[in-house]
Amino acid sequence: MTDDVAGVKEAVGAPSQTAWRAVGFVRSIHRLPASLIAGGVITALLMLAALAPSLLAPYDPLTFDYMALLQPPSFKHPFGTDQFGRDMLSRTIWAATIDAQIAVLATLGPLLAGSAIGLLVGYYGGVFDIVFGRLVDLVVTFPFLVLVIAIEAVLGPGLVNMYIAVGVVGWVFYARLMRVEVRVLRDLDYVAAARVLGYGDLRILSRHILPNAARPVFVYWMTDMALAILLGSSLGYLGLGAQPPTAEWGVIISDAKNYISQAWWLTVFPGVAIVIAGIGFSLIGDGLAEFLDVKR
Amino acid sequence: MQIVPTFLLIGVVVFVIARLLPGDPISAMLGDKATDEAVTRLQQQLGLDRPLWVQFWLFVLRVLHGDFGTSIAFHVPVLSLIAERLPATLLLTGMASLIAVTIAVPLAFVAATNANRWPDYLIRAVFQVGLSSPIFFVGLLLLIVFAAELRWFPVGGYGDTWPDRVYHLFLPALTLALSFAAVLMRNLRSAILDTLTAEFVDFARAKGLPRRIVLFRHVLGNALISTVTLVGLQVGVLLGGAVITETVFAVPGVGRLMVDSIFSRDYPLIEALTLVLAVLVSLVFLVTDLVLMWLDPRVAR
Repeated sequence: MTDDVAGVKEAVGAPSQTAWRAVGFVRSIHRLPASLIAGGVITALLMLAALAPSLLAPYDPLTFDYMALLQPPSFKHPFGTDQFGRDMLSRTIWAATIDAQIAVLATLGPLLAGSAIGLLVGYYGGVFDIVFGRLVDLVVTFPFLVLVIAIEAVLGPGLVNMYIAVGVVGWVFYARLMRVEVRVLRDLDYVAAARVLGYGDLRILSRHILPNAARPVFVYWMTDMALAILLGSSLGYLGLGAQPPTAEWGVIISDAKNYISQAWWLTVFPGVAIVIAGIGFSLIGDGLAEFLDVKR
Repeated sequence: MQIVPTFLLIGVVVFVIARLLPGDPISAMLGDKATDEAVTRLQQQLGLDRPLWVQFWLFVLRVLHGDFGTSIAFHVPVLSLIAERLPATLLLTGMASLIAVTIAVPLAFVAATNANRWPDYLIRAVFQVGLSSPIFFVGLLLLIVFAAELRWFPVGGYGDTWPDRVYHLFLPALTLALSFAAVLMRNLRSAILDTLTAEFVDFARAKGLPRRIVLFRHVLGNALISTVTLVGLQVGVLLGGAVITETVFAVPGVGRLMVDSIFSRDYPLIEALTLVLAVLVSLVFLVTDLVLMWLDPRVAR
């Protein structure tokens, strides 16, 4: 229909096709759920801060300024300064680098491994299903954080070990989601048809089942990135995640422990950053669920 | 009886984790300068020279006898240490669940009965923020406002008498409750929404019962059953939260003990704590099932 209109308009010398495409693009943005747009804007800002912190930060985050220790928020230092006179706005922006990295790296492994395992367990069933069921019971029984902490006890505290610990536990949730989808799909007629055509399991799984089963998993990934930021900063606060002097929001807040009654701004601003980043990913998750019509 | 294989699996995982721990216990106990003879003797004493499956069996026997070894950092039996710290955690999580349910149930009810109107949007927005706020940050905010500024509550610690303990744990419990309420509320709202469209609700309305009575007797009653299920299922989240809350407020509970034990590399303690917490969660699952059977005859069938 849009093409018809475009053709007519062109005939009477109205805006070119490209212009109409632009209008179409703006219209399709309008059709997107508001939460997806809001979440997208927040996450884009987070990624900008993460990829180019020096563009946004007004000061060097590591420069000590002994003339300006523990300054409350002011025009010069909107987020105040810490016990070494470092500008908190700049530190908060630079920390986005680590926290955005946590959101991606802590979830990527579980996403890939969990999806692959869920795909196999769902498709083949049988013994895999029984073993997997037991495993799910176990992971659900263990408090997630306690399990991650226990694994970190083996590996030692640190950012990389945190990724491993989260990965060891986290894949189960992706696999569980994927398994449910695949089990429904594998019994549908079109998959049976593909099998009759003589296609191999690999081709059926990758070309016919995965694309249809991926949506809920993808939506969960967004939510999981929000959770990863919360978990990563919490472990950073406990001293089990990123290690000081790495600027990470949880670590910054932990550094400010002794100044909590004199300098609230050391705690509040990085904390608000965590909340906003978390909301950004959650909104994308909610919006995508609505847009892709995924029931959660 | 589902619980027995789960217990066994928990045991296997903890056993494996314990074997994977860096640095073997022998050199930790004897130091670097031990003679070969002393090392062999201790190995025999601890059973470390036996095959792995025998070691596992010995481990299970030890655990069943309640022998978790001696804490490296505190030099007391691990079990008595945990027993000393457990009450604070139980009180904290108990208070937190109580506060969380008191907050979440009415709000979820209001949100669901006004679905997609402004009270619903407002409540959901508030809880979206709650879901995205890390517990330690919520705790620190409450601490800054109510302990450091207003001085209504202590900054942390634990009391000697029970009323004093409840007073000390109020802010930590509120912290834990706020984040737990956000989780509960999200699930409860959709559970209540489902009930609202159930046939028995339509029937009750068709029978001529006023909306108010249907809401309170039929819908709320079912919502409470969902609440029990949710609180039971999410107890792991609650315990994980307790680990963080106890660290923020310096509560002498098992969660804080666990974090401390990692830094002091107190492996017997970590092992026992992991086991105790996992068993605790399984027990809560069991109790939840029993309570549900009693509350809801449909479950028993």
